Amino acid sequence: MLPFSLYFVTAVVTGFHLYALLSVVVYGVPLNPLELVSWLGSFALLVAAYVSLFRPRAAARVALIACLAMWCFYAPALANFVRAKLDKSPAVSEGMGPRRGTARATPRPSESACL
Amino acid sequence: MLLPYLAIVLLAVVTIYSAVGSFRQKPDGEPAAPGWVFPDGTKRSARIFVGVATLLLAIGLGAWFKINGSSVNPNSLPRSWRFMIPEGYRGWVRVEFEIPGAPPLPAEAGQIVLKIPPTGLLRTSSPEQYGWAKDDYVFYASGGLQPIPDSGAGKLIWGKINHTVESGSSGKRRYEEFFVGTQQQFKDQAEPSKPNDAPKDSHVPAAIP
Repeated sequence: MLPFSLYFVTAVVTGFHLYALLSVVVYGVPLNPLELVSWLGSFALLVAAYVSLFRPRAAARVALIACLAMWCFYAPALANFVRAKLDKSPAVSEGMGPRRGTARATPRPSESACL
Repeated sequence: MLLPYLAIVLLAVVTIYSAVGSFRQKPDGEPAAPGWVFPDGTKRSARIFVGVATLLLAIGLGAWFKINGSSVNPNSLPRSWRFMIPEGYRGWVRVEFEIPGAPPLPAEAGQIVLKIPPTGLLRTSSPEQYGWAKDDYVFYASGGLQPIPDSGAGKLIWGKINHTVESGSSGKRRYEEFFVGTQQQFKDQAEPSKPNDAPKDSHVPAAIP
């Protein structure tokens, strides 16, 4: 049950995280293909979880391929995050979900008028 | 937010685990003996348990989606919005939700209608709607309605954003904003303005003079 639990929990956590990232597409954010590849990796890991109940070694190989697919997105994201931390500059995107609760920094004039 | 960190840690653990599980073998080339960390299979009872749990999970999720997605509930509001904007308006539009005493939003033909006044600020007691939906934008005038393109080359809707702000006395304030105008106008208003131009009343949306 250990391989199943490990693969299943990881697939659900990464799948939900990537779904949250992909959902910002509705706000007009361009789709990142790496997120899509990584999401497919999550699905493959879910399949590997069920395969592991019957053929653990084959499941491990499927899981390894799925993980490599997921690292396509997570490795550059992690590298950018670490670089931003080391540079002591603010990360480009701190929130990894829809843009809720953010404040616009753009100053706007106070008068209202129509053209 | 814990989720990204948890995802990366779990992903690292599973990568190492699956790599070891895929290639581990004895020095003589024979497959390594199974143990509890790398089992050779799962007991029949465990498979049945996983199968039943998966089935229950699928039924539960299906029921949840059916209940939440049901359109026969008369109390459920349509998610699609129609923003009616005064003809010729250019600038920021703001809709503030859950404002006590403000009128609720009317629904017409399966859409919630948000008629934006010439000031660009609409206050309503209705709650904000979340979920997937296709919103419409139209200019209104005495002559009728004119659709506003919100995508493509000639789009006039920019920078749509939702806010939830904690305010001391009244709790959370939710509002939504977007800009009406050409891309150039949207870029121009984003340029840093003079300090004297800064709005004193943050509740008032801005329009391009």
